[in-house]
Amino acid sequence: MSTQTSATGAAPPTTAPRRQLRVTPFTALLGLLALLGLLAFARLVTGTADIASAGTLRAALGAAVPIGLAGLGGLWAERAGVVNIGLEGMLILGTWGAGFAGYQWGPWAGVVAAVLCGALGGLLHALATVTFAVDHIVSGVAINILGLGATQYLSAVVFTGVPGGGATQSPSVADLPTLGVPGLDGALAGIESRGWFLLSDAAALLRAATTGLSVLTLLAAALFVLTWFVLWRTAFGLRLRSCGENPAAAESLGVDVYLHKYVAVVVSGALAGLGGAYLAIVASSTYREGQTGGRGFIGLAAMIFGNWRPGGLAVGAGLFGYTDALQLRGGGASVHALLLVVGVVLLAAAAWQLRRGRATRAALVVGVGALVLLWFFLTDVVPSDFTRMTPYVATLLVLALAAQRLRMPAADGRPYRRGEVE
Amino acid sequence: MPRVTSIATALAAAVLAVAGCASESEPASTATGSEETLKVGLAYDIGGRGDQSFNDSAAAGLDRAKAEYGVETNESVASEGEPESAKEERLRLLAQNGFDPIIAVGFAYGPSLAQVAPEFPDVRFAIVDDASVMEDNVANLIFAEEEGSFLVGAAAALKSQSGQLGFIGGCTVPLIGKFEAGYAAGAKHINPDAEVDVRYLSDPPACPGFSDPAAGNTAATGMYESGADIVYHAAGGSGSGLFEAADAAGGLAIGVDSDQYLTADEAVRDAILTSMLKRVDVAVFDFITSVRDGDFTAGEVVYDLEAGGVGYSTSGGQVDDITDQLDEIAQKIIDGEIKVPTEP
Repeated sequence: MSTQTSATGAAPPTTAPRRQLRVTPFTALLGLLALLGLLAFARLVTGTADIASAGTLRAALGAAVPIGLAGLGGLWAERAGVVNIGLEGMLILGTWGAGFAGYQWGPWAGVVAAVLCGALGGLLHALATVTFAVDHIVSGVAINILGLGATQYLSAVVFTGVPGGGATQSPSVADLPTLGVPGLDGALAGIESRGWFLLSDAAALLRAATTGLSVLTLLAAALFVLTWFVLWRTAFGLRLRSCGENPAAAESLGVDVYLHKYVAVVVSGALAGLGGAYLAIVASSTYREGQTGGRGFIGLAAMIFGNWRPGGLAVGAGLFGYTDALQLRGGGASVHALLLVVGVVLLAAAAWQLRRGRATRAALVVGVGALVLLWFFLTDVVPSDFTRMTPYVATLLVLALAAQRLRMPAADGRPYRRGEVE
Repeated sequence: MPRVTSIATALAAAVLAVAGCASESEPASTATGSEETLKVGLAYDIGGRGDQSFNDSAAAGLDRAKAEYGVETNESVASEGEPESAKEERLRLLAQNGFDPIIAVGFAYGPSLAQVAPEFPDVRFAIVDDASVMEDNVANLIFAEEEGSFLVGAAAALKSQSGQLGFIGGCTVPLIGKFEAGYAAGAKHINPDAEVDVRYLSDPPACPGFSDPAAGNTAATGMYESGADIVYHAAGGSGSGLFEAADAAGGLAIGVDSDQYLTADEAVRDAILTSMLKRVDVAVFDFITSVRDGDFTAGEVVYDLEAGGVGYSTSGGQVDDITDQLDEIAQKIIDGEIKVPTEP
């Protein structure tokens, strides 16, 4: 019990000593530098400058925000024990809310409406799963269908006949302001254009991270930190997480499980709605039917990838955003250069496995890595059918390598009835 | 448990109700015709009326027929991610309710029309953008998109400073390949050294790339940053992302299907050089006329430059100085002096 409620999401204590890989700011920075070095190496070897350019990284950040916000929504719900497969539907509700309020009363009203619409979807999910104990997947799927159907219907009613709008899209919404550190862009662009190993790539990364940032991007980053703080550093967060680990025990200690689950799922919907606002206002400037394109599901995958933790989720969302941006901008040639990076990472992972005495797994990873490198050396371009698979293949790879380290909340997805003992 | 099931059923019912509303047919407007009023059924692709593009163009043709001939109409629209059977049912319902002719807008109706057309041999069908359905009662309204694209490709090459151009396709289907092939050929006709950067946003069968402005924006921004200065799109609703990217990067964009200078947001209008026009309205109106006059012919009807089915727009005045050259090229295409490829 104590191990469960106090769990920080790391590996179970029995195996902890051998596997523990503490992520500190220092190791995180080291990892980032190593990754950047690899990208720089691939850039120089293949001559595809776009894989580490500021433009690509900026596009990656932009693509990561809606995925990350949807994933953060999933994290809140699942930490309280409610599986939220309805994120896609809540994202759609968010885009519609942003379009509806955004074109009439400005982008900030759009953001507020998107959050409210998403929260409404969350409230519905909470009502179904918490109060009526409907199977979480059934309710989630229903919300996805409902979100799509409701917005289609409402758009036809509201946007038809409005100048610039139609049955499938809203009139355009003004953009939100962007921020940046003044004076930095020019200097960094100068360093980036030299093409120096690592230095130019670091400049590109800094450039993407300090200039032309939408306020919603900054808000999303702040929400990640806030989520970590609230869920892992406050009594409320501990209670909320205890509802996802062992609700019966939490109830016996006086925690109002229903209330905490309601709060978590409504916040979950609100965050997904904010992701929708980003898609409709920042990434494009209109609500358009179908514009979410499954990003809610990718967000869910990013959350699992990140082991139900905000930090891991951020890495997952960044990775998916990066691969998405890369295939959209550079196409087959850029993804081809990425193969080199993946191959080297896999070989490094194999060496790590071998050091810990797992010969068979190491051999398997070496095999996959060698295949990837072979693919790299034998071809020049990755066909488009494969480039669009990149985010999914990346998830599969990581899940295959790290599945044993993943630990979801113990009571995740189980309907809970007050007073029932399992 | 029974309670749970009943709730689930209620939820499912609510879902069905909303989904039903969304795809419900618009009420038929009845015109009190004199002798024998034509009952025209029209099934839109995803988007329907108000998509400011393809479907709106078809609607314009229908509206014109309604105004000029007083035909009775029934319109219904496809919804995102619906199964093939829903499309079949939509066409079947129109036929069973006595609509004749029936027009299916978009290649997405190909497989379903191939099923339904033989079931109603006396009903005359037309399908826009599809040549695969070959039945005695189906007219295939095809456009020579490559010819229109050739013209805007030439316009792009004439206007480009860098000689580097871009093309964004919504989905890797043969239809969009015609746009790409014509555009690249047109650009190379003017400037043999012109480079065309090509990017497709999605793959069939789902094709989400026709409604993802964020993806269009990302792809276009990448092209402008790598030196392209004019980008053409055949990506439906994703095109608005291209216009924004062009505006932000100080580049130019070329619209598609309808005159997008007129429908795009005012802030980005100046970034639109021209648009490749695809006159679905002309095709729909002509088809209804042919049925009305009793000379329905099955098989392919090609709307090319000569028939006025494709062309380019001049709104905004950015191509006013080169219209002479473009019209000369158009004449050469019509005369057969220039052969335009249909595959990239």
